[in-house]
Amino acid sequence: MTQERFISLVQPQQEPLRRFLLALCSGNAALADDIAQDTLVRAYVASGSFLGLSKFSTWLFRIAYNCYVDNCRKVRPEQVPVTEALTIKADETSDASFRYQQLYQALDKLPQKEKAAIALFYFEDRSIKEISAILDMPQGTVKYQLSMGRTHLKQYIQL
Amino acid sequence: MKEIDQFLKENKPMVKDNPTFILETRRRLESVEGIKTEVDRQRRSGRLALIYALVFGLALGVFATALAFLYPVDPESLGAGLWESIRLFLHTWRQYLLFPVAILAVTLGIVLMSGSRQSA
Repeated sequence: MTQERFISLVQPQQEPLRRFLLALCSGNAALADDIAQDTLVRAYVASGSFLGLSKFSTWLFRIAYNCYVDNCRKVRPEQVPVTEALTIKADETSDASFRYQQLYQALDKLPQKEKAAIALFYFEDRSIKEISAILDMPQGTVKYQLSMGRTHLKQYIQL
Repeated sequence: MKEIDQFLKENKPMVKDNPTFILETRRRLESVEGIKTEVDRQRRSGRLALIYALVFGLALGVFATALAFLYPVDPESLGAGLWESIRLFLHTWRQYLLFPVAILAVTLGIVLMSGSRQSA
């Protein structure tokens, strides 16, 4: 795959990919972008092995999740920086800031798989089948992870 | 659970605009290309060196075999010295000389075939 072709495939996935990693990194945008860059380099190197059996975005998100897991193994994930969670655009209300802070802090407490399942299902609108392919787990397990994630989030988030 | 569903759907993480993101990606991909080119260059030169070594070994083996079979020596009449020692060695082991030559020829064939398959 040529570099231009790869960039053209990646360009529309850039924002969803960064958002997915931002959720996994519990609001740490710098870390999320670093992992996103690593993901793209890995994907480019492995692009020859992409056979088109799944959607390009599914394949890319799977690499992103693996990069995130590798990163977690290398270094202990940083705690949610409160300032990061508050970096909402100026026109956002403080109520929104508080909600994001709550969300990121709650996500940070979730196990990796639950967090990934929640992020993909709610933030990226992925189907159970796609999540199953991305996280490399059976669909039943994805449903279980989502259910557990929701239960845990309910405990951590005050609504 | 509906409240949580609602909360998550309404509060998707917001990604800040990062105009340099794709530029940084391009820069990294260029670096990857550079590394790939260098690795390919080294692999090619390594393969070329291997082919030269095999061809040289094959030529030497054929020469040694020809020498041993076409110019047999009388061990009794040989004097001392490096050349004589080599001829005596070849004379002694001449029935086995074709074996390493054959191995070299087969190895060379495999290397050349695998190379042409990679470039195809």
